Amino acid sequence: MWDFIVERRGQIAYNTLQHANLVIQAVLVATVIAVVLAVLITRAPRLQGVANALSAIGLTIPSFALVGILLPLTSIGTVTAVVAVTFYAVLPILRNAVVGLQGVDQILVESSRGMGMSELASLWRVRLPLAWPVILAGVRTSTQMSMGVAAIAAYVLGPGLGGYIFKGLSQIGGANAINYAVVGTVGVIVIALIVDVLLLLLGRLTVSKGIRV
Amino acid sequence: MTDTLPATRSDSDVGATPAPTGSSRRIARLDRETTLMLIVPPVLVLLVFAGYVLWRQTADLDGTELRQLRWSTVITLIWEHVRLTFVSSALVVAIAVPLGVLLTRGRFRRLSPLVVGVANIGQAAPSLGLIVLLAIWLGFGFWTAVLALTLYGLLPVLRNTITGLQGVDPTLVEAGRGIGMSSAAVLFRVELPLAVPVIMAGVRTALVLVVGTATLATFINGGGLGDILQTGISLFRFSLMIAGAVLVALLALLIEWLGRVLELLTRPKGL
Amino acid sequence: MSTTPERTGSADTSISGAEIVLDNVVKRYPGQKTTAVDSLSLTIPAGEIVMFVGPSGCGKTTSLKMINRLIEPTSGTIRIDGEDVLTQSENDLRRRIGYVIQGGSLFPHMSVAKNIAIVPKLLGWDSSRITKRTDELLELVGLDPSRYRDRYPRELSGGQQQRVGVARGLAADPPVVLMDEPFGAVDPITRQRLQDELLSIQRELHKTIVCVTHDIDEAIKLGDRILILQDGAQIAQYDTPEVILGAPAGEFVEDFVGSGSALKQLSLTRISEIALRTPTTATVGERTDDVRRRAESNGDMAVIVLDGRGRPCGWPWLRQLTGEKLVEPTEELINLDHRATLNDALDTMLSSSHGAAVVTGDRDQYLGVVDFRSVTEHIRMLEEQAARD
Repeated sequence: MWDFIVERRGQIAYNTLQHANLVIQAVLVATVIAVVLAVLITRAPRLQGVANALSAIGLTIPSFALVGILLPLTSIGTVTAVVAVTFYAVLPILRNAVVGLQGVDQILVESSRGMGMSELASLWRVRLPLAWPVILAGVRTSTQMSMGVAAIAAYVLGPGLGGYIFKGLSQIGGANAINYAVVGTVGVIVIALIVDVLLLLLGRLTVSKGIRV
Repeated sequence: MTDTLPATRSDSDVGATPAPTGSSRRIARLDRETTLMLIVPPVLVLLVFAGYVLWRQTADLDGTELRQLRWSTVITLIWEHVRLTFVSSALVVAIAVPLGVLLTRGRFRRLSPLVVGVANIGQAAPSLGLIVLLAIWLGFGFWTAVLALTLYGLLPVLRNTITGLQGVDPTLVEAGRGIGMSSAAVLFRVELPLAVPVIMAGVRTALVLVVGTATLATFINGGGLGDILQTGISLFRFSLMIAGAVLVALLALLIEWLGRVLELLTRPKGL
Repeated sequence: MSTTPERTGSADTSISGAEIVLDNVVKRYPGQKTTAVDSLSLTIPAGEIVMFVGPSGCGKTTSLKMINRLIEPTSGTIRIDGEDVLTQSENDLRRRIGYVIQGGSLFPHMSVAKNIAIVPKLLGWDSSRITKRTDELLELVGLDPSRYRDRYPRELSGGQQQRVGVARGLAADPPVVLMDEPFGAVDPITRQRLQDELLSIQRELHKTIVCVTHDIDEAIKLGDRILILQDGAQIAQYDTPEVILGAPAGEFVEDFVGSGSALKQLSLTRISEIALRTPTTATVGERTDDVRRRAESNGDMAVIVLDGRGRPCGWPWLRQLTGEKLVEPTEELINLDHRATLNDALDTMLSSSHGAAVVTGDRDQYLGVVDFRSVTEHIRMLEEQAARD
């Protein structure tokens, strides 16, 4: 096992980075999309139930099925992987962002408007900072989930560690089957944990001390 | 494909204490979501399935496609998929609920953060990797798939069982003990009934998780609707890809709906 | 440390309660330096309401919960009706002891009737008996069974939930009922009504009720006896409310009892502390005409008659004065000692046709008269003082 890793260390490192890269970029884009959507949704309270229902429906669709639906549109390769991962990444963040923004005390929003902040300033300086811990929790869920989705997207030749798992599958009975599968799986777990720790640190840095639990 | 209930949601389901007035709006919103999720998915499923049937009867399909999409084949695959889902989910409940109960009793209580932590890390494992590794170890087939799905579905139910039981107002437990109920009576007649809404939310999450992941069972000859998808992708037939994806998605929506109904039916009156 | 104050009053024959005796009861939690309950010895007489009060953390709740073994004593014995609680199975024990908790602690997923029926069911009563008993108890706590039986707790007000909680505690007709801050979670008006109801229930049932409260007014109102505890469940005083208010044993009790409403101040303020009115007096043997003239010039309609040694012996209206000289009146005059409390003064005034009471000092020497006006003035003064503080 050790020899296997050392022999292929360059390639493994590359794929690990690719995997992390795919997930991080997709989650970043997803965060922006989700927060913007959440801000729009929370302006119309009636939409919130609809948004949550849609996100629940979206999360119900198996990722392998989404890959299948996307394939005719985006063809085999990285694009499919990016679209699929981003799609799932949006949903948990969206849900949490709606809950978080909704949870901000209305009195605080009113008082910020009352002291002359524009709606945008109130959003940027009051609502988002207060909702941020909840949004960040959504980002963490989203990231962990995306790690798995990205692995599945490797079936249509998406980048990252999923390819090793499929290689292990296809070589079952061969000498390196287990090595490939373990490297793929454990690799994903390791980046998932590292990124999660980074997100926790991000939380320490970006969540106001006044509302930290 | 995966669960994502933020903690805030399951917390509001803990029914032991009356909800503070401020959250009444949130409850109303959740009710709206629940209502939508009870009505929309079945309607959607029926409409889309009708569309599928129409397409299936009129489309110009070649031999391979016809073979894959034969009604008898499709029904067998759906049955396999449902069987994978329900057997695994039943195992999940049978393991996770007693384990959750145990981890909230007496001296085992201290272990619960540890167990949940380990389960959390386990959840970070990609479902695909778990399935493939188990297949390498135990061989292909239905039961290996069931084992993988069971492991994968454990966490939400375990976590919610613990959260749900911990969320029961301790004064109610003491009240039960104080009026002379044995600890078993308090568990079965007070704690578990009060934790049921939270546990069932976990069960629904697990159902969704399992039905989605069961799509991957095809890779280890575990059966299920993933077969159509896999064939479609490997032969690069759009009709098969879409058909397989649509069928899997419909089944998943139906199962999630079933979970919601189950949640509603098991909710004790008075909460 | 054993304290057993003698019973006062209420020599009732229909007591269904049982005596509880605590003997050198100790509760020590492992890893804690101080002892939660340090050698508590106490006799709780059958059929009485005994209130446990004290500052938070004094061990009053721990002491209560050791009686039904929700907390196991480290050492010592607790006997109910002579039987050691430690020799019984804890579930059997608790099924014979009612338990009422703050807010009622009703099980939210069970209907009112199911909540009340828990213990009877555990005791294996048949269902018709349980139904009958449930309705009986709902009547007892003032809830119409046909309306409330099938409701769920969340459909009840706080006061109603608490009533059901009391009904649940009484369900199996236990001789002993333990109450832990039973009325702590309801508003003051509801609380007062619930307290009154508990008293009337108790007049009917004569249980032994042990009740923990942090509210000294509640303790004074409900308790036949009050147990005041300080840290480590050390008994500061165990006595009737009258004695505790009138003769607090030491500074701790005084401080503890001392803060509170003006009404309680009435039980604490001695008559000697307030200004007395001095109406016309006369001594036995004076000429009636002189006395009448003197009274009329003072604007008084009655005179207080003192005997030869300055002791008041009557308070006749002027029209009652007959004969040439004043004689000692035959009707008995109820005097108040100047050490009596304003509460006592009010009681006496209410039964007097003058709306006031005669106050005497040492050796029954006449001091003056206390009336409603001086009491209300005193209350106002106390309120002003409290406002200034």
